[in-house]
Amino acid sequence: MKRAQFIVGVAVAAAVLAVMPFLDRYVAYLVTIVAIGSIGALGLNLLTGLCGQISFAQAGLMGIGAYTAGNLCNAGLGLLAIPLGGLAAAVASVVIGLPALRLRGLYFAIATLAAQFILEYLFKILEPLTHGISGLLIRPPTVLGFAIQDDRANAGLAVALLFLVWSGIGVLRATNLGRSFLVVRENEIVARGMGIDVARTKFWAFLLSGFIAGIAGAISGIASRLANPEAFSFALSVDYVAMIIVGGQGTLTGPLLGAAFVTLLPEAIQRIGELFNIPSILSALREFAFGMLIILFLIFEPLGLMAVVRKLRLRLTASKPSGKSPSATTEAV
Amino acid sequence: MSIIRTLKASALAGALIAAGAFAPGTAGTASAAQDISVCLWGTITGPDAILNGMSYGARDYFEYLNQFKGGIAGQKVRTLLLDGRYKLDEELKIYRRCVDQEQAVFVSGWSTGAVKALRDQIAQDRVPFMAQSHSSEVLDPVKLPYIFIPGPTYEQQMVIALRALKLQGGKTVAVMHPDNEYGRGPVNVVRQSGLIEKTGLKLVDTIEFPFDTQDLTAQMLRLKSRNPDMVYVQASTPQLLVILRDAAKVGLPAKLFVGNMYNISSAIPEQLGKGAEGFRTIQIYADFGADIPAMKDIDAFRGKNEIAKQDVYYMKGWFQGVVMAKAIENAIARNGGKVPDDLQTFRKAVRAEMTGLRSLDVGGIVPEANYDTHQGTTLARVAEIRDGKYVPVSNWIDAR
Repeated sequence: MKRAQFIVGVAVAAAVLAVMPFLDRYVAYLVTIVAIGSIGALGLNLLTGLCGQISFAQAGLMGIGAYTAGNLCNAGLGLLAIPLGGLAAAVASVVIGLPALRLRGLYFAIATLAAQFILEYLFKILEPLTHGISGLLIRPPTVLGFAIQDDRANAGLAVALLFLVWSGIGVLRATNLGRSFLVVRENEIVARGMGIDVARTKFWAFLLSGFIAGIAGAISGIASRLANPEAFSFALSVDYVAMIIVGGQGTLTGPLLGAAFVTLLPEAIQRIGELFNIPSILSALREFAFGMLIILFLIFEPLGLMAVVRKLRLRLTASKPSGKSPSATTEAV
Repeated sequence: MSIIRTLKASALAGALIAAGAFAPGTAGTASAAQDISVCLWGTITGPDAILNGMSYGARDYFEYLNQFKGGIAGQKVRTLLLDGRYKLDEELKIYRRCVDQEQAVFVSGWSTGAVKALRDQIAQDRVPFMAQSHSSEVLDPVKLPYIFIPGPTYEQQMVIALRALKLQGGKTVAVMHPDNEYGRGPVNVVRQSGLIEKTGLKLVDTIEFPFDTQDLTAQMLRLKSRNPDMVYVQASTPQLLVILRDAAKVGLPAKLFVGNMYNISSAIPEQLGKGAEGFRTIQIYADFGADIPAMKDIDAFRGKNEIAKQDVYYMKGWFQGVVMAKAIENAIARNGGKVPDDLQTFRKAVRAEMTGLRSLDVGGIVPEANYDTHQGTTLARVAEIRDGKYVPVSNWIDAR
């Protein structure tokens, strides 16, 4: 991660946190769900975009994080519930990742799909832990006797965690492990030839990705105060895949853009419908519009929104003479 | 990139976020003083969109008041209907918009899961909330003083069916439900409370099946071997279609099955034809087109507006609109005919007036509405499909 990139990240996070007290709860909730989506998408991006392992079990892993954190919050563990939720999901992610040692590509994707359905089933039947189909009601965590139950507090927490995850991944990408992810993604045989322990690299990818997914699930449960199987269904996993496709796989900031786009698009369509007094019609078209946009991205901009941002930046820098080459300012894929 | 330029870019990014993401939307502008705002959400595009007449009905009642009665106490009602898509995060988002941005004096929401997730929030916000759900888990006048439901709980509907069976001399009952909260929850409550035995009936089997099932032949054969006098089905219409279709395959008549209020659907006689004849269901609200006074108002409204869903669920929504509007009207009347200036005072007054509604005439949609227990009515009757139409075949039965 470049220093400038880090400073921008700090500034944006600080700006968001600074305006937080002035937001109404609705906007604060939007910020929360965008931040949760961004964290989840960053986790999936680490596994899929950086290490090349396609996964459809993201929602299931988030569910593990939510249920674990929920039970621990209810037991009075406070904010410690969040990293422990991440830890539980990390363990599950490593277990799900075991087939990746033998399976690749589409076959592994199908294995994660199976894992997603197994997790959904477990959420329904493990009643002592999950309260089955009716779901686990989650009490707000307390810090020094103060309950974090306000939407603004949840948003602040989610943004702070997003910044930590984002900068953590930024640092990771510059390490040997981060570079190993990229080589494994490109070609496992070449990676072995370069002396990279592929199994170990994948193990870390699953562990870290699962941990981040668990963190996202934990905040999601805390913010909504309910963890139920319907909230962590396969459809959510698809949403996360869409987020990293739309945002730009393998990039650091792309998943954030993708999460914001996928989360806020339905809201934007709803508002446009209200503006033209056709909310019901546009409501029905929301899913259609969402699907169409994904297809259009795949056809015209497979590298996602980050590629669009890069092109814009290149145009801007090209119009102004600069001592640096444009490629030096682009985000490494 | 120099530090100065980086900071400039950061400031620009922060400003853009503040201006774009945090700015309220067009409909989110703060309401004017003495505004009457009602905010509803339903499922316009979700998996249970077949029932969305419920949200149209409530919205249309407020529109009816605006168009034909000049609003409430001479003031137009600002009504907003949003699509919750039966997705928890979407519904939680909409709730916050309704309460904060729309500054609604009454909010109406859809799924059981969302109301459960929001119940503490609703109590903290002190905003009157009309749930579409009939779940007993959201009905608690003491702990959840701001939540109201529109009729008998799912458990009470099951009790009504059991009592109807007992009145007919039945002795044994079987229960079927899908493996989701809506299916399993109420059945477990009734079973564990011993209400079946207290009614003088014997439970011979309970069959759970996958929510998205496409074939229940094996379950029907099992049911046939139990030979119950009635099979109570706590399921949605798509599952009921599979049940009745496969029951016919093994020779079980539709008359054996009784569904809850959400099984009044024209899809059942339309798709199953004669195979649906005799199927019975719990009916709480009068059907669309029934010979009741409320239909005159609905017809008048229909003369000037299009009604998207003309079914019993629309009637349920209209009923909810009537009771919500009455509570708002009473709160304004008690304040000397003026809308209270302070929204919190207004909400509190509306909640108090809701609980004060007794023997309210709702144009015959239900016999009468009483909201002292927060559920409007505990009465229902049994309706049966005869010649492709739902016909009431019992008197009103009280679940209490």
